[in-house]
Amino acid sequence: MCKLSIRSCRYIREKGRSSLKLIAGVDIGNSTTEVCIGSIQDDGSLRFLSSSCSVTTGTKGTLTNVEGIITALKEAVGQIDKRIEDLSLIRINEATPVIGDTAMETITETIITESSMIGHNPNTPAGAGQAVGLTLNIHNLDDYSRTGKIKSNNDYILVVDKEYPYSKIAKIINKYSSNYKIVGLILQADEAVLVENRLDKKIPIVDEVRGVDRIPEGKLAAIEVAYPGETIRMLSNPYGLATLLNLNPDETRAVTPIAKSLIGKRSAVVIKTPYENVKENVLPAGEIYIESLEGKNYKVTIDTGAEKIMEIVSQVDSIKDIHGQECTNVGNMFSRIKKGMAEVSDEDEIIRISDILAVDTLAPVPIAGAISGETGMEKAVGIAAMVRTKMLPMERIARALRERLRIYVQVAGVEAVMASIGALTTPGTRLPLAILDLGGGSTDAALIDSDGQVRSIHKAGAGEMVTMLIQTELGLSSRATADEIKKYPLAKVESLYHMRLENGAMKFFEEPIDPRLFGQVVLLHPEGLVKIDEEDISLEKIVSVRREAKKKVFVTNAIRALTEIAPDHNLRNIPNVVLVGGSALDFEVPEMLMDELSNYKVVCGRGNIRRQEGPRNAVATGLVMSYVGEG
Amino acid sequence: MSNNRPTILIYTLNVDDYLMVEEMCAGIEEEGLLYEVKRHYFGVLEELSYNAANESILGCGIGVEGGRALMSLRNMDKGEYVFSLENPSLSQCRKLGANAARAVKRVAFHDLSD
Repeated sequence: MCKLSIRSCRYIREKGRSSLKLIAGVDIGNSTTEVCIGSIQDDGSLRFLSSSCSVTTGTKGTLTNVEGIITALKEAVGQIDKRIEDLSLIRINEATPVIGDTAMETITETIITESSMIGHNPNTPAGAGQAVGLTLNIHNLDDYSRTGKIKSNNDYILVVDKEYPYSKIAKIINKYSSNYKIVGLILQADEAVLVENRLDKKIPIVDEVRGVDRIPEGKLAAIEVAYPGETIRMLSNPYGLATLLNLNPDETRAVTPIAKSLIGKRSAVVIKTPYENVKENVLPAGEIYIESLEGKNYKVTIDTGAEKIMEIVSQVDSIKDIHGQECTNVGNMFSRIKKGMAEVSDEDEIIRISDILAVDTLAPVPIAGAISGETGMEKAVGIAAMVRTKMLPMERIARALRERLRIYVQVAGVEAVMASIGALTTPGTRLPLAILDLGGGSTDAALIDSDGQVRSIHKAGAGEMVTMLIQTELGLSSRATADEIKKYPLAKVESLYHMRLENGAMKFFEEPIDPRLFGQVVLLHPEGLVKIDEEDISLEKIVSVRREAKKKVFVTNAIRALTEIAPDHNLRNIPNVVLVGGSALDFEVPEMLMDELSNYKVVCGRGNIRRQEGPRNAVATGLVMSYVGEG
Repeated sequence: MSNNRPTILIYTLNVDDYLMVEEMCAGIEEEGLLYEVKRHYFGVLEELSYNAANESILGCGIGVEGGRALMSLRNMDKGEYVFSLENPSLSQCRKLGANAARAVKRVAFHDLSD
């Protein structure tokens, strides 16, 4: 806790500072570096001149930050036609000595050895229904029929690669179907409808199977194509598989993971291989050990789910360290986090995790052994962890900056306190006031009471955790895409002249838009529409994953943090909450928080620093203001 | 010309383009739509695709002439098009046909590059 003369910051009537003209406040955050430039007038009053924001270079608290700081300073002084050399003083924040990291680990895993399934959603399969037969490559059809290898009493499923045009395939099948029973077709090319339209007798056809060359020959296979508007029924049901492939109870038990991973598909193939060995491995998920400052130990199994983990975490008054059971997934996850953090902080320091946020999630994981890269939804847990270090080496950054720019650089003010001072410039606020800083790595809260006493708290998990949850749950290949999904609302382009926004509204265009966007789900990026480069994810799915991720992280953490700093740990004792930081710019998080906090009769909203900056620049502004206040 | 069948219209001038047209038809058929090919004896490419789109009940048409193809939608100005191909490969023609059908079905287009 610390005491401040906040009123003196707000009403500056100081004199005799004429030697100092321009001062800059610099806030180095996890993702952005923000600058505020103020000038001290001859009468000692303060005027804000400009502000800027640029990407933080490197990890917060390291010397690589200097480049980002200089970029942001240049931009801010450029706006008022000055140069960096004109600055009299630079004040940088005494960064919160916490660093956050996130990790995700799946708890279950499906492995299929002796590859035996294909399940996908081709756009246009043909001939609904199911069929069972022995696999047979179309290349061998002539040979086998001459040598008598094909029996007229057996059923066959023909496997065809894309070398064969649709007209030829249809001709071959029509020719042989009088003598042999060809009951189904697996095509590599996208020609199911074309072939079906030319067949005398209709059979189910699965097309767009990329890995046809990996289908073994002479094995019993079952194929199924769903009826229009439905998904497959037999192959996604263990007893359906048992019926079609004549499985005994043990084998039926063994194919359950296949059935599970085929749920919701429009077409599928399951091939019975002699050494079929399908299993669902439950990896040793492990236990989390929590050590309290009083020396008490708590443990919780990760299998019990995020809710139970968080319940145990909230029972511990002050956490000394958290670690995972060795040689398990959780153990590995925690040691990875600690290793990463050790690189940032001082080498001789022992890394202790002071808070975690656990979130249950599902992750699409490629099924080992599947033929065309099928994925299964596996149970996973995401963990954000936070490390309290002694002090981030801000002094080193200040020294480096001083040497580069030849300007006096000062490390001044605790981050949470500076943010609170900055937040007070939001119109309509008064003391006591709580701020909620929704950052990239951690969610920070601070409460200033009427006497200027400040209490602050940091909780693990913020924007980066949301990005990670979006990326894993949607199975996105790039982190950048997940980050953009987090930031911008979505729309579906329904024609060349209009699109439907995610809230149901329509937007029309005078000129036809880029045909590449037609029928696609797009992000409403400020610079134009951006296509999401992932196939087959519906707008509804993305919206629900995005909103859930934000709720799981931000709403949970806001309640956790505010409850802890509230007088008597009762949220109702906080009258005002101002949201600051990058994530407060989010287009839906502030509303979610407002909604949740209104249950406790708390006035909550996005800050508007200096009536113009929005929720940004609170710390930088606080740094400039507190300089005057210190006088 | 009046036509009551829900078809995508392909208007062509030259019989030499029949291989291209055949692949476009296959593309439309695979997507589960109907098509109609009509041979004209005069006109320019832009007119062919414009007329095809405006005379098609589905509002989608393709013009093919001299190794070039244009796909247009109803209400586009003459000369405007969604896709244009010049001396395309057969697989590009197949995709153009599929895209014409997809424009009607409101499904995302195939990438036309080979």
